[in-house]
Amino acid sequence: MEREGPALEALMRRLADTPPDFQAEPWIGGKGEVHVDAVVHDLLRRLGYTVDVADLVEFTAARAAEDRNRLALVLLLAWLLADESISTVGVPQDGVLELLRQESRALAERVPAGKFTADPDRREELVRLALARLGLRPAGETPAQAQDRLSTISSVERARVLKAARVAEERARKIREELARKAAEESADKWGRE
Amino acid sequence: MSTKERPDQITDQDRYPTLSEHGQALLRFLREHPNAPIFRNQSGNRLEATDLEQVRAFEAEVLRSEVGWPRNGHPAWLEGHLERCLEWVPHYRRYGSKPPRFEDLPTTDRGDLGRDIAQFVPDDLPIDRLINFRTSGTTGHGLLLASHPTVAAGYLAFHKRALRRLGIELTHGRGKVGVVLVGWQRRCFTYVSVTPSMDESGLVKINLWPGDWRDPADRAKYLDALAPEVYTGDPISFAELLDLPLTTRPRVLLSTSMQLLPGLRRRLEAHFRCPVLDLYSMNEAGPVAVHDDVLGGHRLLQPRLYVEILGAGGERVADGERGEITLSGGFNPWLPLLRYRTGDFAALSAVGDAPVLIGLEGRPPVRFRAAHGEWFNNIEITHALQGFAISRHTVHQRADGSVMARVQGVALDPAEVEHALRGLFGAGASLQLELVREFGDKVIQYTSALDGGMA
Repeated sequence: MEREGPALEALMRRLADTPPDFQAEPWIGGKGEVHVDAVVHDLLRRLGYTVDVADLVEFTAARAAEDRNRLALVLLLAWLLADESISTVGVPQDGVLELLRQESRALAERVPAGKFTADPDRREELVRLALARLGLRPAGETPAQAQDRLSTISSVERARVLKAARVAEERARKIREELARKAAEESADKWGRE
Repeated sequence: MSTKERPDQITDQDRYPTLSEHGQALLRFLREHPNAPIFRNQSGNRLEATDLEQVRAFEAEVLRSEVGWPRNGHPAWLEGHLERCLEWVPHYRRYGSKPPRFEDLPTTDRGDLGRDIAQFVPDDLPIDRLINFRTSGTTGHGLLLASHPTVAAGYLAFHKRALRRLGIELTHGRGKVGVVLVGWQRRCFTYVSVTPSMDESGLVKINLWPGDWRDPADRAKYLDALAPEVYTGDPISFAELLDLPLTTRPRVLLSTSMQLLPGLRRRLEAHFRCPVLDLYSMNEAGPVAVHDDVLGGHRLLQPRLYVEILGAGGERVADGERGEITLSGGFNPWLPLLRYRTGDFAALSAVGDAPVLIGLEGRPPVRFRAAHGEWFNNIEITHALQGFAISRHTVHQRADGSVMARVQGVALDPAEVEHALRGLFGAGASLQLELVREFGDKVIQYTSALDGGMA
């Protein structure tokens, strides 16, 4: 966060105004509307990088159930990073790729992509996270302020996610145990059998 | 484990929470009749008084509701179902945001359910009274599905809906037997129970296999004593029922779980002098459709079940084209379906106001003949192989009685698999076993060239 980047509000507004093309269905397993790898390719070119095809493999997928939300998030991030203010300030290629690869995966596990455009808190979270991974801080904030705000958002969110994950795992364990110990068909009558 | 969860500690109070004296008397009659079979298990409706109100309200809604949706559109309830799934069901939540088109959603299949069924139970539903539906399936791998006593009781609503179209209203109540579920298997879960929503009419699940009876002649005597209003079973168990010298006649036969071919159906209808309903039903969704001669296919039964027909690549096929039956919705809140690919195939056509499945291909019923001449059901093979890590298998019996089994799986010992099959076909059977790396896309699991093999 050593370098000052674009204004937080402008990027949040950009997310809120994400055009339909960047919220369309990712192309997965022969279905969908947007080839996410092509969008990432265009973004990297726009930011002034040469693109190795091998770098784009992760932006394709075969199974929608696992990768749809992640690729939808990559699309959103691509829209965010295509803002002129980002190319003006200049960002490192490895930072961009890490953001698109790792952060999108982590975020996709807990939040539907659509919330990052519809919910103001989520918009701020995504913009701050993206800027931080690119070594930037929002315009007008000191490094300490930016770090403090990001930590607050992140730690609250991390605690919530951890708790939710624990609760979910405990519930899933109980369900599996309940089902496994009921004797076959001992459970309840049906007027028919399959 | 609490005492209530140990099978030996479950009481009749747990199994039949609302049981009256009349119900108790009927259970005694069913269990202690001099010609009764050896009941090997116990089960009950597990319905509490508040459940009963819910079951009755559900039945009334099923009977009065329309089934269907606008041509090229969706049913009105689907949007709410989708939103609920994406918010509350762990598996679907991973999909992310609601797509612009329902058809853009990923599909699910049996493999998804098998990986972890807990991921399909909505977070906001209580799990303290879960029951399971266990299915052996065509792949030979058992699957435990989450359900609830009210869901099990809900089946009857769809059966009544199917019967109403034939002008049949079930009338059996107190002191009578409403339904006998007949099986024909070496091992079969058998028990007696009552149906509270039918004023505690009797429900009996029996196995016609002679080994389950003190005297095989008791089968007809017992069934005549019960004189049930309905028999449910599959084509193979009904074929056995045909051979019994019954003097009583049911009002209707409900055939489930296997494809009922017209030849057998006509024989059954002529013999029992009553209609035979061919139900398309599965553990994952319950009764989906019933065959309707006038419509020339299977008419859908559930007001809140949306059916799509998908091609191999997951794309919607045109009206009237064949593809995989894919379900959304259903009446089991503990297993909400969202684009569930059933593995069954048909075309979907609108006939009048009704969506109808045309040319349904379910699991074909097959009987195999052991070396010593005894016939057995294909389910026996599924049972015999379910302990192995088999992903897919086929068994074919040639016209000369020799058997070809092909098996795909992980770390399989061919000698052990062969031993399991010989347990059914007999030590002296001509049996060839082949381990295969991969099957083609469409596999007919059980086939026979023997006369009498295909029911």
